[in-house]
Amino acid sequence: MILLESHNVIIKTTLADKINKPSSLDVSFVDYDGVRFRLSTPERKTALLLSMQIRCWDELVRYGALDVLRREYGSLLKDQAEGEYNVSMEIDLEQVPAGAEDREAFIDSIALFKRNALAAPFELAFKTQKELEEANAGQGDLMQIHYRDEEAIYVQAANDRVTVIFSTIFSDETDRIFGKVFLQEFVDARRLPAIQNAPQVLYSNRDPPLEIRHLNLQKSEDIGYVTFVLFPRHFSNPAVAATTISQVQLFRDYLHYHIKCSKAYMHSRMRHRAAEFQKVLNRAKQENTSAEKKTVRFVASFI
Amino acid sequence: MSNVLRPYLAAVRSTLTAALTLENFSSQVVERHNKPEVEVGGSKEVLLNPLIISRNENERVLIEPSINSIRVSIKIKQADEIERILCHKFTRFMMQRAENFIVLRRKPVPGYDISFLITNTHSETMLKHKIVDFIIQFMEDVDKEISEMKLSLNARARIVAEQYLTAIAT
Amino acid sequence: MPQLAPIICDNGTGYSKIGFAGNSDPSFVFPTAISTRGSATQSSRAPAVPSKPGNLASKRGVEDLDFFIGDEALANAKTPGYGVHYPIRHGMIDNWDHMERYWEQVIFKYLRAEPEDHYFLLVRSFTFDLIITPLNCVQTEPPLNPPENREQTAEIFFESFNIKGLYIAVQAVLALAASWSSPKVTDRTLTGTVIDSGDGVTHVIPCAEGYVIGSAIKHIPIAGRDITQFVLNLLRERGETAAIPPEDQLKIAGKVKENFSYVCQDIVKEFRKYDVEPYTYFQRYEGEHSVTGRQYSIDVGYERFLAPEIFFNPEIYSSDFLTPLPDIVDDVIQQSPIDVRRGLYKNIVLSGGSTMFQHFGNRLKRDLKHLVDRRLDASALASGSALRSSGVEVDVISHKRQRYAVWFGGSLLADLPEFYSSCHTKAQYDEIGPSICRRYQIFGSATQ
Repeated sequence: MILLESHNVIIKTTLADKINKPSSLDVSFVDYDGVRFRLSTPERKTALLLSMQIRCWDELVRYGALDVLRREYGSLLKDQAEGEYNVSMEIDLEQVPAGAEDREAFIDSIALFKRNALAAPFELAFKTQKELEEANAGQGDLMQIHYRDEEAIYVQAANDRVTVIFSTIFSDETDRIFGKVFLQEFVDARRLPAIQNAPQVLYSNRDPPLEIRHLNLQKSEDIGYVTFVLFPRHFSNPAVAATTISQVQLFRDYLHYHIKCSKAYMHSRMRHRAAEFQKVLNRAKQENTSAEKKTVRFVASFI
Repeated sequence: MSNVLRPYLAAVRSTLTAALTLENFSSQVVERHNKPEVEVGGSKEVLLNPLIISRNENERVLIEPSINSIRVSIKIKQADEIERILCHKFTRFMMQRAENFIVLRRKPVPGYDISFLITNTHSETMLKHKIVDFIIQFMEDVDKEISEMKLSLNARARIVAEQYLTAIAT
Repeated sequence: MPQLAPIICDNGTGYSKIGFAGNSDPSFVFPTAISTRGSATQSSRAPAVPSKPGNLASKRGVEDLDFFIGDEALANAKTPGYGVHYPIRHGMIDNWDHMERYWEQVIFKYLRAEPEDHYFLLVRSFTFDLIITPLNCVQTEPPLNPPENREQTAEIFFESFNIKGLYIAVQAVLALAASWSSPKVTDRTLTGTVIDSGDGVTHVIPCAEGYVIGSAIKHIPIAGRDITQFVLNLLRERGETAAIPPEDQLKIAGKVKENFSYVCQDIVKEFRKYDVEPYTYFQRYEGEHSVTGRQYSIDVGYERFLAPEIFFNPEIYSSDFLTPLPDIVDDVIQQSPIDVRRGLYKNIVLSGGSTMFQHFGNRLKRDLKHLVDRRLDASALASGSALRSSGVEVDVISHKRQRYAVWFGGSLLADLPEFYSSCHTKAQYDEIGPSICRRYQIFGSATQ
């Protein structure tokens, strides 16, 4: 698995399971970036209530998350969210599409709950870019999404591009160094002819990029800023725009996933190397010349 | 093996072989105790002159002989941040398993990355020249391993970045 | 913002149970299997990535990410180029490379959790190493799983995944904690006898105040797999299997076991009941051929109560293991220190799928009580009836969460506020190193 998937596996498997065999249920689980879910059947076995809590919900609502969710889920979306959660939807298992393919599509779309909520600011930015392009001037508002305690995404539209900036922070020294290597490769990768069309990536350590310099963010050696410059070719076509959004919003998780995988890989290597060294050292050990037993073993044989 | 490395390793090898003349020696302080004198460092007369073999300012070996034990400390080449962290990770990984590597010290001597402690028991129960072989082999391979790990990290990062950007570009 | 739920990971030899604390069931139950590129016949000790020196090695990219775990691993077993491996053998991690990658995918693909934000509770299984070191007499903490194993686990979780905190729990203690959910349990104690019966082996484990009494543990070579086989034998003898396609027979026997079996109180009476009124007691199982779709049905009879009977009368199935389960439990408790025996009799807890038969607990309780009373009577007689015991309370706790009791116990414990203070944190790990895992702290019990 190189790329991370956008859908939530627990939602997907539980839904598929419950459609076949409804039963009462109450589970809570999570998704990346501190998103919490609860899937329960408060009233009857066939009415599933799926609630989601996102840290930056208020910001997302400001950028139109409710509209996006309403477009995707229509009447499933409840007006009132379950207590301590931000948004809820009710899935009536009796109303699920009957055809196998339709049903799968339905389940998939629900498993993308978080992805769709987080897509709102990007969609808004893509729309703003079009308007600005027609007006041929100006810049859109800077949208801030504080999706983690110390990290945020900034999205801003201009007349010819959409800029997405991630602030990244590494709590661990090794992660920081590995992260730097990875980010450097992101910056350099576009030199390859095959991905000339990819968005431009910039990385700056410590100093925030121009777009967000006015926010007076705290400066520190640990903080880095990754800028993606998306051009209209990345989002003019709706299907392309959808994949762009799915990938870009998972950037941080993708990066951290691979940092962790590399460490796991290093561990495998080190295990192998340590075993090799062990072999070399074992050659130094002398053959066990069975030492004579010093203690006398007394065998009773009076019986 | 590069031409610069060979004399360096040869020097370490002959020094170590010469220094590995250990004998059983009871503690002069505590009765019926037997301690590696190089670690205790209490009585000067049983310690020999430590010596440093340097390849360059970043790579050196410190050999501290004594009557019943010898301590070998290695400073591994670390050209940049990445090599530093990889070296740290690798030596830590090894020292974590010091129980298996009988001659490995759990902590390096300050200023070095990894230390070995060979006592007279080791040199009596194990083949002396094979212990030296092990240390030389270690010095030889550790550099290789670290630079390989660094290369593979870079290669990995490149693939990861390419895959991600390809997913967006198409 | 409330803390994100801790992740509970119970990696068994056969199946892994994984999920979030506070839930009543694990989110994922799938085989502890990993399928990687390269053949399965390759020895498991070989490195996952051959690290031949030279430039070629660095050219290799991310092949180590090309693998599947769990059900997907088995589904891909047939794909050319992939081989299936089982990283845990006999309850011990056998291949750390595979295990590390297994965890990698559990966390990132299935749980979709950022490990840096979560606490983890891992279950330490100990089935096999105990047999290797049977001479651990009563110690505060018997080295059931060698400490190095725990240290390597900590190394992986803290260094590769940077998790927030780690708690390595003991299987039996979690099973005891799971019984707190039963309405019968009034005080949350960690003293008791755990009967853990899964697919392969059954263990009887005495626990005193959260510590396993390693010297008294006993294993019984009868478990789920044997019951299924026994059901199949019975069906075959009666000729019922003629209707079942051969490749499905074992599966059908398993279904019969799960859906129809119960424990009877008196085997002779039960036989008579069936013979007098076969129509009320015999049941029918309707099956469908998995390939052709042909319908068939079989009669289910005596095996309904005979199947779990092999725990109580093993001679009906096995010729080399003949001690009934109640006797084993009694032995185990008698081998434990005298001051905890009362607590062990009073709190016998069931765990694992093969203890789920109806009335299993009642029968065990009755038989055990019988044994204990007989011994008390004998000793009263021996003392010339001058001294009478006040009696020993015997109780067997059944509860709803028996199937994944160990996981559920973990989920309960990790939901307590004390959990966080009992965990080893990343900061502690960075300061002290993996040896922190040698310290083991119990918590959550009301009697402390």
